Formats: sequence, structure tokens, C-alpha cells
Amino acid sequence: MHKFNLSFSQLLPSLTLLALLPIWETAVYIFEIPNFLLPAPSEIMQAFLNVEWSRWSTHLWATLRVAILGFLMSLCISIPLAVIMVRSKFLAKTIYPLLVIIQSTPVVAIAPLLIVMFGAGESPRLAITCLITFFPLVVSATTGMMSTPEELIELSKSLGASPAKEIWHIRLPYAVPHIFSGMKVAITLSIIGAVVAEFVAAEQGLGYFVQFSTSYFKIPQAFAALLFLSVLSLLLFKAVQLVQYLFFRWSLQK
Amino acid sequence: MYTSVLKRLGTYLIISLVTSSALAQDKVTFQLDWLPGGDKAPVYVAIDKGFFAKQNLEVKISHGRGSTDSLTKLAMGMSDIGYADLSSLLTAKAQSNIQVSAVMSVFNKAPHAFFTLEDSGVTKASDIKGKRIATSAFTSSNVFLPLLMELNQVPKNSIRFIKADPGALGPMLVTGNTDVVISWLTDSVKYQSQANNIGKKLTVLPWYDAGLEFYATVLIGNDKFLNNKPDIAKRFLIAYKKAIEFTWQHPQQAAEIVNKIVPEVDKKVALETITSIKGLVFNEVTKAHGLGAINKERLATSWSWVAKSQGFEHSKLDPETAINRSLLPPVNTTSSLVNAEAAL
Repeated sequence: MHKFNLSFSQLLPSLTLLALLPIWETAVYIFEIPNFLLPAPSEIMQAFLNVEWSRWSTHLWATLRVAILGFLMSLCISIPLAVIMVRSKFLAKTIYPLLVIIQSTPVVAIAPLLIVMFGAGESPRLAITCLITFFPLVVSATTGMMSTPEELIELSKSLGASPAKEIWHIRLPYAVPHIFSGMKVAITLSIIGAVVAEFVAAEQGLGYFVQFSTSYFKIPQAFAALLFLSVLSLLLFKAVQLVQYLFFRWSLQK
Repeated sequence: MYTSVLKRLGTYLIISLVTSSALAQDKVTFQLDWLPGGDKAPVYVAIDKGFFAKQNLEVKISHGRGSTDSLTKLAMGMSDIGYADLSSLLTAKAQSNIQVSAVMSVFNKAPHAFFTLEDSGVTKASDIKGKRIATSAFTSSNVFLPLLMELNQVPKNSIRFIKADPGALGPMLVTGNTDVVISWLTDSVKYQSQANNIGKKLTVLPWYDAGLEFYATVLIGNDKFLNNKPDIAKRFLIAYKKAIEFTWQHPQQAAEIVNKIVPEVDKKVALETITSIKGLVFNEVTKAHGLGAINKERLATSWSWVAKSQGFEHSKLDPETAINRSLLPPVNTTSSLVNAEAAL
């Protein structure tokens, strides 16, 4: 039985990171690395504390909102899209190349155009996040549904199951582990998407704050925001794991 | 009974409609050309001191990522009025039918400058021969560099040009990865504090001292907004002009206001920025033509520099078609602040 409690092995990554901190700190002092190249952890901590919590929470919330909403939008688009591609070979052949083209277009390069297309406000940021996250979701869901054993499909057909039932009761459950793998990739990408969008147009958010800090050469402050972003990614990743554990425990590998 | 209730309701509705329309302020979206800072203080001052409110305006600020970004947003109507570089405007106008016009000058001198450490041996623009020069990829300064080099007899292939992210330029200078950095005078304070970190002094060489004289940052409006709502645009400019004067009369207070509205902007840095760029706003040009004015001859000179730097035929654009002078409040060349600064 898979357990979701904190065992030593699960704490190991955090412990490794904690052990790195004193090494990092000492290295900065011994080699006299200037703070604009690599600030010491203590300096980053100080920069973190110098910014009022209300500012952090404003930026944090702005990024989190875009990341989560963009991710959910992407989920709502990609699963039906995957279903369509599984059901129709013709559509799969027409849509798939388009998806690959969209995926291989660097979103960073077209982000300024998206801002102009979608106007001010949150919609361009959501669109950018959505574009960055949806490909792994579509691919994982399609692969999952296609990997359903053929005999099960045959059986359902011989029992007269409708195409909707075939998707809902057989193909989708088979795809769940794949979908969650895709979701784990997509959720970390959603933070990257939100940050990319904030670099191009935003008045708040952690990505905006990193850009703001570097433009004022406040490198320790930028590092503090970057660490915040990493923690946020980790937490969101864990949240996806938790959802899988709570609602689709059967899909976890034993 | 019913009629009296209905009458009261009717009267209440009429009063509330009348008062709400009287209270409703005209909404204006102001476009910054970069992130907030001391150099953008006037717009924050005008909001905080109620200069806009007094003109019955409600102003929302939208942050930008460079002059081109700002121009695009203004042209698309995402913002009504805002900052951009005159050279970017003229370049865009020469190449497309972009529906925006300059209405007021803000920095009537170019803020481009060389930043170098005191021990680099660079004391004037012509000293950059044989040096490594770092600049950010998208700054309008890059366009004028070849002209500046020509003016100062620096051969093209005598320098090594490095393009980097704007945030990396300061660290590159102090770590010795470059000898000279190209940036704007508005960033002097930030570079100085970087140099202080390693106990060195910064040398700033403004390009206007090396012969490059023209308008830089101007207020630009979306043509639809300017033509359809000239009254709002006029009121905006009255309030904005007042805010410019307030900012440089009370720099301390202006810096505090920027910090109050955008807490990420450090009060001290904002104050130092406001003080250090006074000469871009109040100078001999301001004394001669008035605050905010866009003078015909100086505009023509600005266009000739832009045309030369971009390789355009001089006749490709009549720079006057990029300007709308009908909205600026009467220029005042006798203001005490203008005169005091010009005397400096």
C-alpha cells in the first residue's frame, strides 16, 4: 500500500538542500563572491525579510492565480482534445501537427504579440500559461487512452457500450496515471508560463518582482523571489500528487 | 400614499443620476515606457496630490517594457497617453501609419550615456576606442551609437560590442567583464551604488556633451483619444505639467509618493534619481522654448539624427506630422523653476 506520510526518504531532498546552505554560505565568504554574482543565503534571507509580507503576498497571489487558472484552463482544453483525437483518426491527423507547431513555437518570442492580441489584464497571461502547459497534458492523456488494452475495448463493444461509455469507463481510467504524469510536468510549467507572461506585461507577480529587482540591481532580492518561485513549484507539484493520492489512489504505482 | 412614495423615489433617482454623472471622472490609462521609478515620478505625484482629480480625471497606470512596447500599446488603444522615446516614434512613423502623436516633451535632452569606472581611462566619448562596450539588446541608444562614434571620430571596428540583459550590465561593469556600459542617465544612481560595492567611483559621460542633441522622452497619445477627447487630453496635460513642476520643486515629497504608490521603489533611490535627472527636464532648452514645448527646429534636428541613424531618406517623413501641438497648455518660459535651472 502506498503511503503518503512523511518518511525519512521523503525528507531526504529537503535535508540535502538544507545541508547545501552552509556550504553555499561559506563558499561565498571564502571566495569573496560579490553579492551581484551570487548572494549568500543569509543575504537572501535578509532581502526576503526586508520586503514587507503584504508585498510578498500580493506578488505571490498574482503569480499563483495565473499559474493555477492557466493550468486549469489548459486541463479543460487538453482532455477533451485528447478524447477527440482518440475517437477520430482523421481529427488526430489534422490536429496533432497543429499541436506540435504550437508547442515548437517559442512562447517567449510570441508573448509580446499575445499581449497585444488579448489586451491588458489577466487574459494574455492566462493564454501564455495555457500555451506553455497544454502540450504535455494532451500528449499524456492521448497516450494513456491509446494504451488501453485492445481486448477491453473489444469486450465493451461486444457488450454494446456506447462510445461515451467506452471513453468514460475504460479509456479515461486507463489514462489516469498518464494524465497525472502530464499534470506534474504541466503544473511546474505553469509557474514558468506565469513568470514569462509577467516578464512581458504585468504590474505585479513574482516574475515581475524578479525583473524589477534585477533592473534595480537588487540581486539578493531577486534571488529571494526566485527561491519563492521554486518553493511554489514544489508545493504545486506536491498538490497534484496529493490530489492523485486522495481521489485516484488506485492509479498510484505500487 | 403610493404617489408620494413614487415621487420620492423619482426625486431620489434623479438626484442620484445627476450627482453620479457629476462625480463620474473621465478615465485615462497612462502608459509607462518601463517599470516604475523616480524618473516616472510626475504621474504618481499628479495622482497623489489630486492634480488629476482636480481636472476631473481618474488615471490608471500601465507599466511598459521599453519604448516600442509602449508605442504598440498606445497605438492599439490599450492606453490613451504615455511615455515613449521621440526617436522610436519617428522611426515607427517613417515605416508605418501608426496612429499616435507626440503632445509634450518630457526629457528635452537625450538621456543616453556611457558609464565607466573612474580607473578605466575613459574621460570623454572619443576614449572608447579599443574598449569593450556592453549594452542591452533593445535600447534605443544602440541606434545612435554609430552616429556618436562618427561625431567623435571613433572607427567602427575599434570597439568590441557586447549585448546583454539590462539587469546584467551593472554587474558586468563592476566585475570587469566590460569597460563601458551604455545606459540612461536615469539609471546613474543604480550604477553608482553597484560601483560603491567594490569601492570604486563611477564616471558618467552623457552623449549630449559629445554632440548628440535632440529630444528624448515625450508624452505620446493615441490619435483617436487625442482627436475624439481633446478636452480630456488638455486637462491631462495641465495636471501633468503641474506635477512635473511639483516633482522638481519637492523632490523628497515626490520620492515618498512614488514609494507610497509602488512600495518596491526605494525612497532613497527614487530621490537620487529625481535629483540626478533634473537637467534632462529643466535646462537651457526649457528656458528657450518653455516646459513641455516641442520646438520645430529642434524636432527637425531630432529627425535628421534619427533618419541618419536608421538610414532613411530625409524626405521619408515630415516630423511635424508626428506632433500634435494643439493640446499643450500655453508654455511658460518665465517660470522661476525653469529660469533657476537654466541658470545652473
